[in-house]
Amino acid sequence: MRVSSSSFPDSFIYETNQLQNQQNTLQTEASTGLTFTTPGDNPAGMTQALELQADSSETTQYQNNITQLTNSATTSYDALNGLQTLISQASTIAAGVDSTTSTQQLNSDATEIGGIIQQALQLANTQDSNGNYIFGGTNVSSPPFVASTDADGNVTGVTYQGNTSVASSEIAPGVTVSAQTLGANTTGTGPRGLITDTRSGADLFNHLISLQNDLTSGNASAVTSTDVPNLSKDEANIAYQVGSNGVVQSTLTNTNDVATQQATNLTTQMSNLTDANLSTTLTQLQQTETSYQAALESGVQVMQISLVDFLY
Amino acid sequence: MIGLFGTLDLASNSLSVQEEAMEVTGQNLANVNTTGYTRQQLEVQAATPLQTPIGQEGTGVEATGISQATDALLNSQIQAENSVTGSLTAQQTALQNTETSLNEQISNTSTGTASPSGITADLANLFGSFQSLSTDPSNLTDRQSLVANAQQLATEFNQVSSSLGSVNTQLNQSIQNDVTSSNQDLTQIASLNQQIIEAQGDGGSANDLEDEREQAIENLSNYVNVTATAQSNGGVNIGIGGVTMVSGGTATDSLETYDAGGGQLQIQAQNAGTHLTLSSGSIEGDITVRDGALATLQTSVNTLASQLITQVNGIYSSGYDLNGNTGADFFTGTDASNIGVNSALANDPGAVQASGTAGATGDNSVALKLAQLANTNIPGLSNQTFSQSWAQTVGDLGYTVSEVNQQVTNSASANQMLSNQRQSVSGVSIDQEMTNLMQYEKSYEASAQIVTSLNQMLQTIVDMDDT
Repeated sequence: MRVSSSSFPDSFIYETNQLQNQQNTLQTEASTGLTFTTPGDNPAGMTQALELQADSSETTQYQNNITQLTNSATTSYDALNGLQTLISQASTIAAGVDSTTSTQQLNSDATEIGGIIQQALQLANTQDSNGNYIFGGTNVSSPPFVASTDADGNVTGVTYQGNTSVASSEIAPGVTVSAQTLGANTTGTGPRGLITDTRSGADLFNHLISLQNDLTSGNASAVTSTDVPNLSKDEANIAYQVGSNGVVQSTLTNTNDVATQQATNLTTQMSNLTDANLSTTLTQLQQTETSYQAALESGVQVMQISLVDFLY
Repeated sequence: MIGLFGTLDLASNSLSVQEEAMEVTGQNLANVNTTGYTRQQLEVQAATPLQTPIGQEGTGVEATGISQATDALLNSQIQAENSVTGSLTAQQTALQNTETSLNEQISNTSTGTASPSGITADLANLFGSFQSLSTDPSNLTDRQSLVANAQQLATEFNQVSSSLGSVNTQLNQSIQNDVTSSNQDLTQIASLNQQIIEAQGDGGSANDLEDEREQAIENLSNYVNVTATAQSNGGVNIGIGGVTMVSGGTATDSLETYDAGGGQLQIQAQNAGTHLTLSSGSIEGDITVRDGALATLQTSVNTLASQLITQVNGIYSSGYDLNGNTGADFFTGTDASNIGVNSALANDPGAVQASGTAGATGDNSVALKLAQLANTNIPGLSNQTFSQSWAQTVGDLGYTVSEVNQQVTNSASANQMLSNQRQSVSGVSIDQEMTNLMQYEKSYEASAQIVTSLNQMLQTIVDMDDT
């Protein structure tokens, strides 16, 4: 094939341009640490990377949800624990009453029960760190349990002003969990109520008020025959609620473990898909640089020589 | 026998021919770096011999013309490949601009240096905010964060829509510019045709003008696919899309743009009034991207935004805010160009309707439904989720870009091969020209030596009379 004087420069420019493009690609790969940065570099990879990115964000959000729900469940648990202790104290007091108990002792017990009622009321109106009442169902902005008192300041009745709905949140795709414990439920359906629940027969405040009234009036037989069995129902109900809370916390912990594992898997998949193998990239870059230098040196040598150099 | 004076003429003619050959060589060397120059060579032949008693006797050499070392088939192939390259390069540029408009960036999982951006990341942030709100529906900080992330997504949609619109405008502008340049080339080709026809009509050659015309045709072929038909008088007729644009020395027609609706320019022959369907060239490349990948992408972005508005508002409007108000929309607008967030929410995050029951500020049912939209297959998005649909859209554009990038590489390689082949035929070789120069120089010296010898012989004859 005949070679003209511009054949060398043309081919030289074309070849060195190819090498520069290759260098640029490898340099970008080395500096970003990514094998592709635009959709055109790797269309299938980009589609997959964007989906992995969305999945990763979603998994992180589920972990955040789990953290938030765990905080709520922990706050509920602390209150449940406190209530359980109070019921236990009330049950102990009631169990200690019989026909031989002195009036003075009964009055003292009544006063103690009055204090327990106040403490239970405080716990039933527990607020979380954001100021939300945690036992009012989805009515979180006002105290769910409102007490009416007599002239002496004794609680004579407690009404529930919350509702019977609980909020559930997603902890995995399509999986919702509620960390809420409902204050009261007299509908017979849905989540059990903590203080009042028709299915379990729990009615803590009325039972405590009844106990207080029986102690005050010296009706020891009513304490034994009515109040003690009633408090047992409250005790059983709170134990059920503590157990449910434990199940929720356990579910949240397990799901968080799965989410953590999934986040790691997604990161690994993303890394395998997008991360440049720097040792390979840098080796290829070195090879391309060597080829580029060789092309430049040979090009300069060839283009400097012509027959003119040897004539005359 | 031609005698001494005949031989002197022979030598003199030879000197002239060698000198002319050197001139052609000089012309070749002078244009060794001239783009589009075709090497020339002096065509010579033995002069008409004389009949003598001892047979035919030569009368020397004569120049018959200056020819070009050209290959019409190669030129035609280069014109066609130029059009293909013009189209692909225009497509590549437009698609790369389109790709940049999307602003989709993935993060580096190892270094964490680049944070993801674009609609994918913003969609994830929006649905993440709905999730956060669902865990604490009355929380004002979560509400503020939701409104901010929604505004970020809406702004991203607006920017992508605006950038894609700009690419569309640039393509129409580019089409307009290329039409102007094409018409200049057509006028130049007609003018050069005229000069070449006149020169060849006088029996001469017009090599340099032919080079210039070939350059103009190749330049034109970058913009549009041309049909160049050589005429016996030396002219070349140019046709575009089946319409004759140049006939001999006359530019019979020209290109013009017309609005096919919505400001989308198409091409027609100005005089013939015929719509031109182009098969290659940069104008066709621009139209292909504008009406193909770009239009598809704009539709996809608008559909995604429109579906987001419809789906979110459909759930959201039934919700209640912290004050028990209901019925408002979350997103405003109809597509990517005008999507926005209800302006009332920016100043009052409490107005976000996250609850499903009036007065129940802890109710998260609406926020939860909105969060769950992230994993809902939307019928209007081919039963894909929002993020899947967008990833698919980005991937589809990527496939188009990747394909065109590969085609540009192949076309550049084909162009390089054709260019090498043409250089092999038409390019000037300094080595070859220097060799020719030496050859002509030696021939010139030899012819001059004949003149010297003849001069001595004639002097001898003159001196004979003196003795």
